[in-house]
Amino acid sequence: MTLAAVSDAGPLIHLAEIDSLELLATFDTLLVPETVYKEVDAGGVPDGLPGLSYELVEADESRVKTEELDAGERAAIAVAEERGAVLLTDDLAARDTASDTGVEVRGSIGIIALGYGRGLLDRHEAASRMRALQRETSLFVTEAVVERGIDMLDDQ
Amino acid sequence: MAAEISDRVRELAEARGLPESEVFEQALERGLEDLWEDLVLARYLDGELAREKAIERVGRTKVERAEREREVVEGDVDWGLNA
Repeated sequence: MTLAAVSDAGPLIHLAEIDSLELLATFDTLLVPETVYKEVDAGGVPDGLPGLSYELVEADESRVKTEELDAGERAAIAVAEERGAVLLTDDLAARDTASDTGVEVRGSIGIIALGYGRGLLDRHEAASRMRALQRETSLFVTEAVVERGIDMLDDQ
Repeated sequence: MAAEISDRVRELAEARGLPESEVFEQALERGLEDLWEDLVLARYLDGELAREKAIERVGRTKVERAEREREVVEGDVDWGLNA
C-alpha cells in the first residue's frame, strides 16, 4: 500500500531526539509544510532532517478554524485534508481536530510500529525506541501506556 | 552525569537558599511521586486495579489522560503493524 504523510513539528522533533528520523523514509511521500519547517528550524534543524527525502509544501492554515492549535499544526492538517495524506502529530488537540475533519492521524509511536511492521526494525529495536521516546524526549506519554504498545508488537 | 547532578544541586541550593541536603530530599520526593504514579497507572491499565482506586491514588486527570493515551497508542501500533 502506498503511504503519503504530512508531519507537524512534533514527530520531526521527537524522532530526531532519539536518532530515528530515518523511519520517516517508510512513507512513500513525506510532506512538510513550510510553516512547520520554520518552527523546527527555529530550534536548529535536526541532524537527520537534511538527509531525509521530503517535499516542502505551502499550506493555507487559515482553512483550519481553531485557535487552540499553532500555525504549524493547522498547516499540517490543511495539507493532510487537501492531499488525503496521513497526518503525523504527537499533539492530542491536533489529533482531535484532524480526526473531526476525517483525516487519518498517527504519532511517533505509530511511526516506530510502522518501521517494525515493515521490517526496518526488529522487535528489540522497536521496543527500545518506544521506551527512548518516552524517557529521552520532550514527548509526554505515560510509561505504562508505552509498555502496552510494546506488548502489542508481539501480537503481530 | 554525576558532575551535572552536582552542578544542578549546587545551583538549585543557591537559587532557593536551601541546604543541598534539602534539594536532594525534594528531588527524591518528586521522583518517588512520579514512580508511584507510573506504578498505579500501570496496574490500572493492566486491569489489576479498579478505575476508582486509581483515581483515588493519582487523581482523575491523570487517569483520564492515560486512558486517552492508551486509546491513541493502541490505535497507532495496530495501524503500524498492518499498514
